[in-house]
Amino acid sequence: MKEETCSHTWEMVNVQSGYIVTENCFRCNKTATSFSAGEWPPMEEYREGEHFWNIMEVAQTIRFDLTCKACGKLVPLNELAGLMMCTGCDPKCPVDTLMKEMEKSRIWVFVAFGFFPVDERTQLSQEKIAILEEYFNQRRKSSSSTIRIVSSEKIDDISRCFAEMIRDVGMLSLTPPATE
Amino acid sequence: MQEDRNHSIEIAKIKEALQADIITGNSQTGQYVTGIYASDLMSDVLAYGKSGSILITGLNSVQAAISAYMAEFKGIVFIRSKIPDQDIRKFAEEKGLFILTTDTDMYETCVKIASIEGEVSVSTAAAALTKRAENVTTYSFSIDGQDFASAGMVSTQIKTILKSIGYNPLIIRRVAISTYEAEMNVVMHAKRAKVTLKASDQEIYIIIADEGKGIADIELAMQEGYSTATEEQRAMGFGAGMGLPNIRRNSDKMNIESKVNEGTTIETMFFVK
Amino acid sequence: MKLKEIIEKLSLVTLTNVEDKEVSGVFISDMLSDVMSSAETGNIWLTVQTHKNVVSAANLIDIAAVIVTNGKEVPEGTVELANRFHVNILSSPLSSFQLASKLVEAGLK
Repeated sequence: MKEETCSHTWEMVNVQSGYIVTENCFRCNKTATSFSAGEWPPMEEYREGEHFWNIMEVAQTIRFDLTCKACGKLVPLNELAGLMMCTGCDPKCPVDTLMKEMEKSRIWVFVAFGFFPVDERTQLSQEKIAILEEYFNQRRKSSSSTIRIVSSEKIDDISRCFAEMIRDVGMLSLTPPATE
Repeated sequence: MQEDRNHSIEIAKIKEALQADIITGNSQTGQYVTGIYASDLMSDVLAYGKSGSILITGLNSVQAAISAYMAEFKGIVFIRSKIPDQDIRKFAEEKGLFILTTDTDMYETCVKIASIEGEVSVSTAAAALTKRAENVTTYSFSIDGQDFASAGMVSTQIKTILKSIGYNPLIIRRVAISTYEAEMNVVMHAKRAKVTLKASDQEIYIIIADEGKGIADIELAMQEGYSTATEEQRAMGFGAGMGLPNIRRNSDKMNIESKVNEGTTIETMFFVK
Repeated sequence: MKLKEIIEKLSLVTLTNVEDKEVSGVFISDMLSDVMSSAETGNIWLTVQTHKNVVSAANLIDIAAVIVTNGKEVPEGTVELANRFHVNILSSPLSSFQLASKLVEAGLK
């Protein structure tokens, strides 16, 4: 089938597990995130040009692409750092407003994040976000709810956002939980 | 908090039930495990795991082996075809842990182990799990036309993936040969192609869809020795025929569709006996 | 099979309001990324994770119910969020392995 006329049935392919690394430069206070496939990434601080990067957090995650089962169109999602469900912590945030409006019709709002710093990395295009949303809604077609995915650019002030990206933190920690 | 019930299962029985590969601890298969713990959260393994147990996990990291060792487990089953790396193997060998790998997911692994002991009847488990056999893994690749330097890379990748899943070497060989032929056709004759590999318990399915000049007469192209390769390509050892007969010989099912000036799609299927 | 039937058969403790749903199967993992890649809509998800993000992952795929195993205590914040977004959270004192054998006996694939 031709790509242009295909109505697309998406599936997740090229799933790769790895780590999402969050680094902070103590000179300029910029935050950078990146994906590191396979191995646990090096934890030392290092210098890159004017930046002195320190690792803030390492979490396990996956990267993946989408492909259409019918026409074979491949949508690489290298720019996707992760998804986050809006939990509504900032009434001033447009995503919060959208979430509250959508919630009534059982539409859950998720935010797609690209990698930081936003001005230096290619961010996820609106087209790719729409495809990602279509993929998850096709996968949850037996559901009575749907999801809506918006770009992280829609968040008013990231410092007031307390929701978390869907990723796995602390899986490798060997410290048993304190409570019990 | 948990039901305190002791198990006693021979490692060889677990290996057999899961059709698992043994990575380390071949000499330990006659030993018994006394507990089963399924988790990806290592702090929990340490907090709740009982000594003598087997750890079922999808966490492919040396931390899994360290946790199992610290909690005095006997060994680990890595699920969903996660192949432990050198660090894990080395650690496990040093500490005397056995490691198994299986292609099933965590639920299925639990159910199969439970059925060994009769905790779940084997027929219940089998009936419940046959429906899950459709579990298909999909991979996508691309090939660029005229890129002779990377020719054969995709078939090599596919071979590696199939090996890591653990298919029989004979079926892997057939897939590798026919995919290599198809890949060379793309490099020689097409602009580019998308390759999709779908691997399941039942079959291996490969689709190679190219954009290119297409084949005007498929019947002719299917004949042994037919080739449209240039002299230069022939000099490199390619193009002694379009390879289509060889693809057909090596696959269990083959379908070819082509449109002139648009492209050719070859689908091949290999049945896992 | 309906969720309420499973709750009854396996004496599961309900931590949130429960909306009955059709259950399509079982998925066991303690990794949210696994749920994102491999769980199916309508699956029951067995995990020892209890943080708020479990609700997000469950909602992304529309999991029929999260069953927290090992009798782990679930923080109030997680329960609140789950109630708000209609995610069913149940609890069992059994381990994921023990519960798996009971679920298959109950007829879940």
